[in-house]
Amino acid sequence: MAALASLWNGRLYGLEIIRFLETHSQLALAEGTIYPILNRLKVEGQLTSEWVEAEAGHPRKYYALTDAGRQRLHQMARAWVSFSSGLTNLLEPVMNHQEISQ
Amino acid sequence: MTAEMQFDNYLTNLRLHLGPLTITEREEIVREIGAHIRDSAEQSHASLETVLARLGPADTLAAQYRDGLLITKASRSFSPLRGTLRMATQGFFGVLVFFVGLMGYAFGGGMVITALLKPILPANTGVWLDGNGHLQSVGMLFPPPGAPAHLVQGLWYIPAALIVGSFTLLFTTWAIRNSLRISQRWRSKL
Repeated sequence: MAALASLWNGRLYGLEIIRFLETHSQLALAEGTIYPILNRLKVEGQLTSEWVEAEAGHPRKYYALTDAGRQRLHQMARAWVSFSSGLTNLLEPVMNHQEISQ
Repeated sequence: MTAEMQFDNYLTNLRLHLGPLTITEREEIVREIGAHIRDSAEQSHASLETVLARLGPADTLAAQYRDGLLITKASRSFSPLRGTLRMATQGFFGVLVFFVGLMGYAFGGGMVITALLKPILPANTGVWLDGNGHLQSVGMLFPPPGAPAHLVQGLWYIPAALIVGSFTLLFTTWAIRNSLRISQRWRSKL
């Protein structure tokens, strides 16, 4: 879900996705983990990719969401928000207790 | 060993362990990882050893690619059992799906085979009832059960076994493909 979400605003290449996840979600991934995931999402039709010549001197493989990927991400995001709000409700008494103790 | 040699060795090792994939898939992956190594070294000013250590061993990286693609392809295939074998190495759910799938294919395939062999071996193939009229055995038996068990006569067994066998094979395939998709969804939660 995080990999798909990182591409919501536009195309990125692998290393940019890793950096994006680190800075926006504190998800520190092993670098080797993200590429097989991107590859699988592409095979599943949720991402497209294209090689783009870069100033770095070598081409980079950029990924972008397909319509199916956007739809799937939307579904996953809704499920996640519902799940996390339930968990927040569950933890509310714990957090309140902590605040009282402090 | 120079940095360039380390770089080449890593990609050669990766290519080697991506063996089961098609050449196009393999070269695409090697090209992308090569670009990543160069970018990562340039942008973080890290040594090649550090960049390669962050990527992990080439064989482990290749295994992640192989597993992901195998399971994805199997979830769309008409013979997805191989994908479940890979899944079986990754946890209890995979082991369960593999063995249930194996039993489903064995039963379904067995029923279809006995249906086809019924005209050739009529006395050894079919449904046997015990002395009280309860079901004793189904399929093919050598030698067939003796009295008081008896074979239910008639060629009705052929279409019945074909229908039950085919349905079991289709249902098993459907169930395995869905299990593989569920396992992928679990993996995609990242």
